[in-house]
Amino acid sequence: MDELEELESTEMLIHIGPQHPAQPGPFRLNLKVKGETVTDAQVELGFIHKGIEKILESKTYLQGIPIVDRMCYLAALTNEEAFCGCVEQLAGIEVPERAQYIRVITEELSRIQSHLLGFGEFSEFIGYQSMFMYTIKERENVLSLLDSITGARITHTFLKFGGVREDLPPGFKDKFTRTMEQLKITVLDEYERLLKSDTIYKDRTVGVGVLSPEVAKEVGVAGPVLRATGVPFDIRKDEPYLVYDDLDFKVCTQGEGDSYARIMVRLNEIRESIYIIEQALDQIPDGPIFPESAPYGKRTPTMRVPEGEVFKRVEDPRGEMGIYMVSDGSDKPYRVKVRGPAYPTLQALPPVLRGVYVADVNTIAGSMDGCTSEVDR
Amino acid sequence: MDANTIVDSLSSTFPEAISDATVKSDIRVTAYIDKDHVKEVCEYLKNDLDFNHLCCESGVDYILRNEFEVVYHIASYEHPVVLALKARLNRDDPVIESIVDVYWNANWYERETYELFGIMFKYHPNLKPLVLPEDLLGDWPLRKDYEGFPQKTAKNLV
Repeated sequence: MDELEELESTEMLIHIGPQHPAQPGPFRLNLKVKGETVTDAQVELGFIHKGIEKILESKTYLQGIPIVDRMCYLAALTNEEAFCGCVEQLAGIEVPERAQYIRVITEELSRIQSHLLGFGEFSEFIGYQSMFMYTIKERENVLSLLDSITGARITHTFLKFGGVREDLPPGFKDKFTRTMEQLKITVLDEYERLLKSDTIYKDRTVGVGVLSPEVAKEVGVAGPVLRATGVPFDIRKDEPYLVYDDLDFKVCTQGEGDSYARIMVRLNEIRESIYIIEQALDQIPDGPIFPESAPYGKRTPTMRVPEGEVFKRVEDPRGEMGIYMVSDGSDKPYRVKVRGPAYPTLQALPPVLRGVYVADVNTIAGSMDGCTSEVDR
Repeated sequence: MDANTIVDSLSSTFPEAISDATVKSDIRVTAYIDKDHVKEVCEYLKNDLDFNHLCCESGVDYILRNEFEVVYHIASYEHPVVLALKARLNRDDPVIESIVDVYWNANWYERETYELFGIMFKYHPNLKPLVLPEDLLGDWPLRKDYEGFPQKTAKNLV
């Protein structure tokens, strides 16, 4: 399936990438085209392979947190959540409730900014460059909210085993409300209306790159790509972690499974995330943000984690993030396997691209919202 | 479908292939599997027990036991149970059957496990490196006895 067979005389091979403006990261897409139609596609990877799984084996658990950040800077907080969740389960650390709420707030903010960038990049890929500038501007406001909590815009290193590093800053709720009011008006109202009323945009996205629920399940995708096919699969609902059980939100699905539906799922998820944070800010209890009896503290940065193994799944902005961690009882993980959400999404690209027009390749690849950095790890 | 039903069903259907099936929690089950029966067990899981989503497939190098473990994390879109199937391989001759015919997305996971650990997947349709350059093939970087820096890293630069 991955091999491109011999070319016929009427066929041509087109390489897109590894460096191409309309790509979320460096990977090479080899397209076999016949006229305007793609007959076969192949993905080549490894241009930014960082060996993070091997690096994590040689670092202590605490040193691992900034490294998992860098797998995908758009989802740094959910990467940390998966990593810290594994260690917490292995070491039996309880996270105080206030810390859980702060984690939910920051992770949902991170989901909002990831979806905003995904939406903007996608618009840029289909030739709507001003939309990219608009969403980047709004995303920057969300990033300053994250910055005010964590002290960093993208790679936060905010979570600790058992809690979080900082409490919410004073006046955060007001700042959040102001930012989100603006975001609701601009992105969720104006921009969405702008796109929905644009016939060119609709022509380029509706019915393009259709994934059926059966195929989507077969290729193993999750997240917005799967939910756009109508399957209500969301780790936050199916395997609740943190305090998602106590929060009310719905899983956004669309039935069509095309590029348009994938973007609509992301926009609706921004709405849901705002709603989740609003509830979390109302419900957040007082209390410690770090357990008093933690096995390590400020002065002892290393800790030994009991022998065992754990597989933890969280809902990344792009889908299902899982980390499989094996501990041998020392202060370093024995093996960390990262199952990223973008990995199956990128793997699903060749079957989706087969039979589409060359001009639609960027639309489809953009609407999948992959992340090469995380695929290559 | 809950974890206990799955364990019972697996152990009774494949008494020889499945060993040490344990329920870790409500949503986590682990079991060891004989390496020659991986494919038929996976077919049974997919068709009869709704395990239609291969989450992850990875290798672990237990160098002290002279063993590799290939770990399949199989989940489902219908129920929250994740099953960790582990196959033990001899470190000197790590060969196991590919499950690409059952789970389509095992393709890349198996290619990655192959290039990083040197575990051969029999009947894989396209077993070649995925993330590593061709000339690093044979170094098996994720094995515990990998030399690493500085012997290997600057190889391409000299």
